[in-house]
Parts: sequence; structure tokens; C-alpha cells
Amino acid sequence: MSAEVKLDAKIPDGPLAEKWDRHRFNLKLVNPANKKKFNIIVVGTGLAGASAAATLAELGYNVQNFCIQDSPRRAHSIAAQGGINAAKNYANDGDSVWRLFYDTVKGGDFRAREGNVYRLAQLSCNIIDHCVAQGIPFARDYGGLLDNRSFGGAQVSRTFYAKGQTGQQLLLGAYSSLMRQVAAGMVTLYPRREMLDLVVVDGKARGIVVRNLITGEMETYSAHAVVLATGGYGNVFNLSTNAMASNVTAAFRAYKKGAFFANPCFTQIHPTCIPVHGTYQSKLTLMSESLRNDGRVWVPKKPGDKRKPADIPESERDYYLETKYPSFGNLVPRDVASRNAKEQCDLGKGVGETGLAVYLDFADAINRYGQDVIAGKYGNLFEMYEKITGENPYQTPMMIYPAVHYAMGGLWVDYNLMSTVDGLFVLGEANFSDHGANRLGASALMQGLADGYFVIPYTIGGYLAGTRFPEVNPSDNAEFKAATTAAQAKIDKLLSINGKRTVAEFHRELGLILWEYCGMSRNEEGLAKAKTLIQKLRAEFWEDVRVPGASQDLNQSLENAGRVADFLEFGELMVDDAIARKESCGCHFNTAYQTEENEARRDDDNFCHVAAWEYAGDDDSPRFHKEPLVFENVELSQRSYK
Amino acid sequence: MISKTINLTLKVWRQGRKEPIGRLETYQAKDISTDMSFLEMLDVVNEDLTKAGKEPIAFDHDCREGICGMCGAVINGRAHGQEKKTTLCQLHMRHFKDGDTIVVEPWRARAFPLVKDLVVDRSALDKIIMAGGYISANAGGAPDANAIPISKEVAENAFNAAACIGCGACVAACPNASAMLFVSAKVSHLALLPQGRPEAARRARAMVQAMDACGFGNCSNETECEAECPKGISIVEIARLNREFFKSEFS
Amino acid sequence: MNWFFELLRASIGKKLLMALTGLAFCLFLLIHLIGNLTLYGGKDLFLSYVDHLHALDPIIRVAEIGLLFFAVIHVFTGLLLFWQNLQARPVRYQVNKNAGGRTLGSATMPYTGIFILGFVVVHLLNFHFIDHSQQSVFQAMDTTFSLLPYVIFYTFAVIVVAVHVSHGFWSLFQTLGANHIKYMPAIKGLGVVLSLLVAAGFGFIPVYVSFLM
Ligand SMILES: Cc1cc2nc3c(=O)[nH]c(=O)nc-3n(C[C@H](O)[C@H](O)[C@H](O)COP(=O)(O)OP(=O)(O)OC[C@H]3O[C@@H](n4cnc5c(N)ncnc54)[C@H](O)[C@@H]3O)c2cc1C
Ligand code: SF4
Ligand code: FES
Repeated sequence: MSAEVKLDAKIPDGPLAEKWDRHRFNLKLVNPANKKKFNIIVVGTGLAGASAAATLAELGYNVQNFCIQDSPRRAHSIAAQGGINAAKNYANDGDSVWRLFYDTVKGGDFRAREGNVYRLAQLSCNIIDHCVAQGIPFARDYGGLLDNRSFGGAQVSRTFYAKGQTGQQLLLGAYSSLMRQVAAGMVTLYPRREMLDLVVVDGKARGIVVRNLITGEMETYSAHAVVLATGGYGNVFNLSTNAMASNVTAAFRAYKKGAFFANPCFTQIHPTCIPVHGTYQSKLTLMSESLRNDGRVWVPKKPGDKRKPADIPESERDYYLETKYPSFGNLVPRDVASRNAKEQCDLGKGVGETGLAVYLDFADAINRYGQDVIAGKYGNLFEMYEKITGENPYQTPMMIYPAVHYAMGGLWVDYNLMSTVDGLFVLGEANFSDHGANRLGASALMQGLADGYFVIPYTIGGYLAGTRFPEVNPSDNAEFKAATTAAQAKIDKLLSINGKRTVAEFHRELGLILWEYCGMSRNEEGLAKAKTLIQKLRAEFWEDVRVPGASQDLNQSLENAGRVADFLEFGELMVDDAIARKESCGCHFNTAYQTEENEARRDDDNFCHVAAWEYAGDDDSPRFHKEPLVFENVELSQRSYK
Repeated sequence: MISKTINLTLKVWRQGRKEPIGRLETYQAKDISTDMSFLEMLDVVNEDLTKAGKEPIAFDHDCREGICGMCGAVINGRAHGQEKKTTLCQLHMRHFKDGDTIVVEPWRARAFPLVKDLVVDRSALDKIIMAGGYISANAGGAPDANAIPISKEVAENAFNAAACIGCGACVAACPNASAMLFVSAKVSHLALLPQGRPEAARRARAMVQAMDACGFGNCSNETECEAECPKGISIVEIARLNREFFKSEFS
Repeated sequence: MNWFFELLRASIGKKLLMALTGLAFCLFLLIHLIGNLTLYGGKDLFLSYVDHLHALDPIIRVAEIGLLFFAVIHVFTGLLLFWQNLQARPVRYQVNKNAGGRTLGSATMPYTGIFILGFVVVHLLNFHFIDHSQQSVFQAMDTTFSLLPYVIFYTFAVIVVAVHVSHGFWSLFQTLGANHIKYMPAIKGLGVVLSLLVAAGFGFIPVYVSFLM
């Protein structure tokens, strides 16, 4: 690829509100009779993958659908709690497609494309209609109509929810549609498979190499197009709210095959999670953000104060969010709340055994409204907290700490959701898409489903109808063979090192490096240090890791080793991206660029762009490309929460 | 979070992928923090095994917050352990005592063939859903979401049934290895909603047939499933499934 | 007819058969019990009840054939389910524990069922397939219950029947789909009452006949 690649986002012309309609009209259509001749690989069965696989099959395409878990229903999307946004304006409180669009662009600190976000807001309404038709038991009010709540500090109530299990219900809906197509013979399901490589033939994505996680066998599959919906890479931090199998492997190997990686340093850190309790902690649990509506955040004024919270008098408590941000108080956005919690703990004012927690205190709310009211609002959250920590939050303040939660960065895609590799489409959290530098609550589910149900079914048709496909046979194709051999070689290498340290130890160390230097707040010196530390760790990994077991077997240590190996490379790319973005925006807070109010100071003149990274070989630094962001419909403004 | 540490003796079912039968092997779990979850305790044991040059215990898990339904094992004779409404990943070690011996076995059912150690193949549950656990609605054709009002009560009942995570603990706990609770949860969820009514009869029949074909046992109303279900699915759903099934057979 | 066989092949169909025949037996038990209660009113009352029964002979015959037919279905289906359920878990657990759902009744259904089958055969031999012209039912009872082993056997058997009913009764409602949060406790209560009645009503007869009369 030439050094001067122009990233063409292919955003259709015309007024914002008409772009998508015009585009759909302009896209070529595949003749219905021909659809069954096209094979499409969909990797991932989360909201994005399952909805895409089901819908493409409904249209008549032949779909092959892959996932790591034993059943498509277990994809990480299942864990989403809070809800899904849609601009239905059922609450009659002034919401509109435009407002959802605007909130999303502004929430993302003006680092997302107008065209994409507007389409997302438009499609949000169709999603809810479709989900209800699928039988998703959303919350309803007494009149039998759908209930909405306000979420994540939004000024309007546009969030649809199913108790605290919205992701589960939405995913089970998509899964049921998917299983219907499996029964109809339109989708072939391949669970317990891990994609290890993308196969590009003549510049087009034509297949994948997967490892059968039960037998350990390498398998190849060919198709006319490949859709990646493999989720986010939050687990690069080791501890995150993501499911254990969430990984960057699929996306990263596609990156190595020519797909650009966009904004990898944009990772969201959620302020209200249950704190870490020990070294062997495997994952972090999110507590709904809604808790901040009634809970007051505080730490002791005196660093190192180890008294019980009840013994610390009012005058010796620091309600730091309320003092620092008088008008928003405890309801400041996720990134601000997270950053401040870490700051307090770094000052030695953290609480709990580890000193890495702050209190979220409901005593005032209980006094004011009574325990019943609080139990009615947060009963199940309090129960969950007690189950995990063994402490009763009605009696003693909760302890919370920020945790990595979501990846805004991902593979670069154009308006059609196609990456820089022809025929490779990327959906859901795996693409960089619509959330800019910060995602609003309840918008990821919306994006995943919009991509899968309503965008890809059109745009993939446009690609397939307009492209000629030479015959490709995996069993005698050189590219397929090379990819399979390389994937197997990597596995054999991992198994042969037989060093002294376990995979988990390396993962923990990598996580700590990134958390410290490429987490909530970053600076040049720290990032440079992180880069060397990661390089060193990676070298050690390939010399000293111990992966037990065999290649031709169910081998979970080996699976982890492969994922951690990719995280060790990807982590450096994140750091590179953070170094290159010499501004602060959204989640990317570089201490050198802040306002007097300690707010992120954007540099719209120089950094109003998407950073897209091109793989340039293992020994060379990745090549940087930028896609300038053009704002024609909104005015760039500065956030303030004072 | 006042943590302490305990020492445990584990007896874990080990069985290679190609071995016809396995055995219980004994391991010592030392200095286990009572704040750990059961799976984190197994992680620790696995780290020790790895360092000792032995093969770690294979077990399924993913979300580790009780929602994906991937984890599960029988702990001292109880599916997901002794705590009510709790998945294995949410079972914390503070419910065990220093010196306890814990026997860990995989789900046992003909319909769930063992894969390795504690990992079993639950694809039978997917097959049942394939047979009819859906509403046939293609993307794109739906009316406005508020076109059909559904009473709050009905919506909540449907939600309660839909809360099933497909973990298979009901099968594991059932003395007959029956999957009725799982099937009834899906049949009820969809049968309760107006959107699901048009296909209700066909769905109930097809899902029961698929369940029988997968080799699950027959329900004899032992109600062990309800007692072990981590999501509190009630056997009221099984009664509803029976009704739906009879309705479909006699209509 | 196709649907009928399909129904029977299905697990729930078999359960339906168990439930319906079980319901018939519960009703039979109740009627039998009410009849036998006349015994506590003295020999004359009891014999007049027996005479009345004989007067209804044709109906009784039909009922007997019906019960026999039901018994065949109940026993056959029950055994089939028992066998299938054993097959459904080829490798069993090393540690078995009750989660709180199982009861003595539910856990022992196949065994109590088989025992009851044996008991019914003995019972019929003792009181039904006897030459009624030679001895009255009452006399047969008198002789049978003069033997202590019979007293013990009958009392035990009746308790077993009660245990079987304790699960069978509410369970048949559950199978028929009659489970509602509001009514199920009542149904379960009724099941307990019925099994206690069975245990007490029938169970006391051998003792009464052999010791008190
Ligand atoms: C605790 C939590 C709560 C959340 N709550 C909300 C909320 O309330 N509202 C909201 O909008 N968003 C929420 N989010 C974010 C949202 O859940 C996710 O962004 C979204 O579900 C991602 O969906 P996805 O389909 O892109 O990917 P996923 O659901 O992560 O699915 C990835 C799929 O890809 C497969 N896969 C991955 N790698 C491979 C590979 N190498 N080979 C083969 N298959 C592979 C996996 O098996 C899986 O099927 C939450 C996230 C978390 C962690
Ligand atoms: S019914 Fe309960 S126990 Fe059975 S699969 Fe569903 S959640 Fe698990
Ligand atoms: S790991 Fe997901 S439910 Fe236990």
C-alpha cells in the first residue's frame, strides 16, 4: 500500500437527514435469486454479530457464523445492564433524532462522524420496533406502553430497558432470530471456534482461519465477504468489566492483514465498579451508574485515615465531587468521576483494604426518603453488591472504583462499515464508529443492533453486487495455506517455550502498565515509559511464558496465551496512538492539555481527526493516517461541569 | 470487605477428552481469600498446577457475573453450589470454612456429553431453541413498538420467564436430567406476549419434541430444578408449558 | 389417531397419562375410604355397605375393568418413565444432595409405586378373589387381621400409599397445568390432607379389626 492512502469515509452527499435514504437508493441491489449464491462469514454472535447473521440470512444469503462460547447466546453483550437509547420521544420531553444525534456527537467530544451518528439516531427507532416484535419484554408502565428512563446524565428519558438485564434480553432476541435461521438452514453455526486469521485473496477478504477450541484443529472457511463483530478490547487492561474471552485477536489479526486500526487509545473507564479485592481478581463488576443519583461520593480528608467510615465525622470527610463541581456534583460524566476517584486514591485518601476505592454513601438518601424508597430503586443492585462483597450497603457505605468498560477505538470503517480491506466489514464495538472519544450510556447496544439489523444488510449488498469474485478454494489456495501454517506455527511456538511464568502473570503486568500510564490520565513521560515497559514485557513473554497442555486438545491456557500475545502487541499501538494525540478529548486526558477547570482541552485545529494506524510489519512502527472530521451541522463547544 | 484466607481440599473430576471415564483427583487450595469467587479459587489452583508442570482443570466461564450461563459445576452435590439463586461464578469463598473438602463434578446428563474435566456440551439447549424458541419476525416489518399495549403484569411475568440464562443447572439438578424448566421458561416467555401467540401452539409442540429427541429425562415434578435455578425460574412455567402443549395437541 | 400416538410418545403426553390415571386412583381411594369408614360404625353398617355395593354390580364391574385398565396404563407408563429417566443420566454423581425440592414422596415414587402394585395384588387375593359365598368380606378381614404380620403389612402398605399420594396428588395438578401461585398452596394442602386421611383412615382398620373389635 502506498504511503499516501486517502481514507475515504464515503459519506453520502446531501443534507444530513437525507444521506442514509439517498445512499440506500444508490446502493446496488443483489438480485434475490442470486443472494443464496453468496457466502458471508460473520464472526461474533453478540448484538452486532447475531443481528447481522440473522438478518443477512433472512434476506437469503448463506451465512456462516462463528463464536468462541459454546452457544451464541453467551456473547459478552449479554452482560449489558442499563438500557438502549432510541429517539422515540415517547416521554414527550423534547427528544428527537436530532437531539440524540447531537448528544452523541457532543458526548463523544466531537471526534465522531456526523453522517454515521445521524444515521444511528435515525435507526434507533426501528430497533425498538423490531425488538418488541421479537418478544423482548421491555419495562412497561401501567397503561401497557413502554417505559423510559433517563440514563447517564441525559436530559431526556430515551432509554428503554428490561430491569437490569437489557443486554441479555436484546441478545436473546437476536439469538432467537439467529436460531430460527439456523433451523431454516440459512445459517451454519460454528460455536467454540476462535478466529486466528483473516485470509485476503487478491486484495479482498475471502475467508478466515479458525481454531476449533474442542479439538484444537485448524479450520478454514471461505466466503465472498467477511463480517467481524468480535467486540471490544477492554481486556487489554487485564481487569475490566468485559467477559473473560473478550479479546482483540480477531481485529488485530485483521489489522495485520491490512485493516487500519482507528483511535485505539480511546477506552472508556466507568466510575462505579466494585473495587479490586486482590491479586487473583479475574474481572470487575459494574454497578449501574444510576447509583450516583442518590449516593454521595466521599473520602476521608486525611490521607491514610483507616478508621471505619462510621467513625469519621462529617467534618473530616471530603465530598470532593460536590466541592469541585458544585452544579453537577456527583452526577458529573463518567470520565470526570473516574479521573477524580483515581486522583483521590493517588493522594493516599483511598479507602478499603487496598486503598483503591472511594465511598458511595447512601446514608443521607436513606434518612431523607427512607430505606424502602431506596430499596425500591436500587434493591437488586444492593443485593448484588452484598453478594460480591459480603457487606450491607444499607448500613455501611458502598466502596467503588473505576474500571475499564468499553473500547471506542476499533477497526476503521467507512460509512458502509467496510474496513480498508475490501470485503471486510466490521460491526459493533469492534469498529471505531460512532462514539468518538467517549460513549454515552445505553448507546453501545443501539449501535450494535443498528449495524447488524439495519446497516449491513444494505451495504453488504452494494459491495457484493458491484464486485467480481474469482473462485477461491481453501484447500488449494496459497493464501489460505499460508495463513493456516502461520497460525499453527504461532501456537506451536507458544507451547514450546515452556518458561517459568504463567500467561496470567504477563496479562496482569500488562494491565497494570496500561492502567497506570495509558488509563484515565496520561502524560508524555508516562506513555514513553509504558512503551518501553510493554516492549520489554513482550520480549519476556516470548522467552519465559509457560503454556501447559497440547495443541490438539481443549486447552484454555493456550487460548489465553494467544490472546495475551496479541494484547502485548496491541497495547503498544494504544500507547502510540495516545502519544500521537497531543490534545485531551473525552476519555483521552493528557495532563498537559487541560483547562483551568481541569477539563479536557481539545485542539480542534490540529486533532479534529480520526487517527488510523496501518500495520507496517513487526519491525517497523505502524504508519499513521488521518481522516479529518468535518462538522457542518453542529458547533464545536467546550464541556463544562462546574 | 474484611477478608481472611482459608485452606481447602478439592476433589475435582478430571477426564481427558478421549478418556471414556474420569476420576476425582485431590488438590489442595491454599491461602484462598474469602473474597474470591469459586472460579477465582479454581484460577489459583490452575496457576499452581501450571507451575507444577501439570495440566490445569478445564472449566467453562465467561462473564463471571452470573448472566451468560457459561459456568457451572456440581459442588458437593449441589448445582452451582449451595447458595440459592447463585451461579458458580457468583459463589464466593466466604461461604466455605477453613479445612472444608469440596467435591467438584461436571453437569451430568446423557444430553450433555462430557467434553473435558468440568466442560460439557450443552448444544442440546440450542437445538431446543432452534425448534421453535423464537417469534418469526424478520427485521424491517415491525409496527410501532407501542402499537400493542401489554399490561405491566404480563410484561413482568414474561420477563421473569425470559430471565433464564440457559446454564443447564436445572438439568444437572433434576434427578431425571429433564430440561423442562429451561423449555418452559422460553415457551412461557413467548406465550405470554401477544406477539408470541400466533406461533404458541406450534412452538410448544416442536420444542417438547426437540427436548425429547435430545435425550433428556422426563419431568416428574421433583422441583429440584426450581430450587437450584440461579434465576429463580418457577415451576409455574412448567405448568404453563404443559397447558400450552395440551392446547396444541388437542386443537 | 396420529395425534394421539404423538401425544403418547412425548414426555408430557406420558405425564398426562400418569396424571389422569392417578387422578382416577385418587378418586377411587377416596370412595374406597368413605366406604370403609362404615367399618367404624360396626359390623352391621359395614355389611350393609357391602350389600349395597353388590346391588350395583354391573356398574362395579365396569368400574373394575376401568380401574384395571388405568392400572395397566399407570404401571406401564410409570415403569417406562422410570427406565427412561435412569437412562437420561448414564454417569451418576459421586455426591448427591437434595436442594430442597425433593420430598420423601417424590424421591420414592417408582419404588412406592412398585410396592403398591404388589400390595394391591395381595389385597385383591385377600379380599376380592375369594369365594364370597363361603365367607363374607368381614370374615375374611377378621381372619386376615388376626395374623399380626398381616396387620403390620397392611398398616405399612397404607402408609406407603399415603407417601405415594403425598407427591402424586399435587403433582397431577401440576402436570395438568393447574399451577397458579394463588391456588397451588391449597392444592398442596389438600394433597397432604388426603394422604393423612388415607394413612389414618385405612391404616387404622387392621388395628381396629384385630384389636378393638
Ligand atoms: C458490564 C457492561 C455493561 C454494559 N452496559 C451497557 C448498557 O447498559 N448499554 C449499552 O448500550 N452498552 C452497554 N455496554 C456495552 C455493550 O454491552 C457492548 O459494547 C456491546 O454489547 C458489544 O457488542 P458486540 O456485538 O459488538 O460484541 P460482543 O457482545 O462482545 O460479542 C463479541 C462476539 O465475538 C466473538 N468473538 C470475539 N473474538 C472472537 C474470535 N477471535 N473468534 C471468534 N469469535 C470471536 C465472541 O464469541 C462474541 O460472540 C456494557 C458493557 C459492559 C461490559
Ligand atoms: S431454567 Fe434456570 S437452571 Fe435452567 S437453564 Fe434456565 S437459568 Fe439455568
Ligand atoms: S461465567 Fe457467566 S454466568 Fe457464570
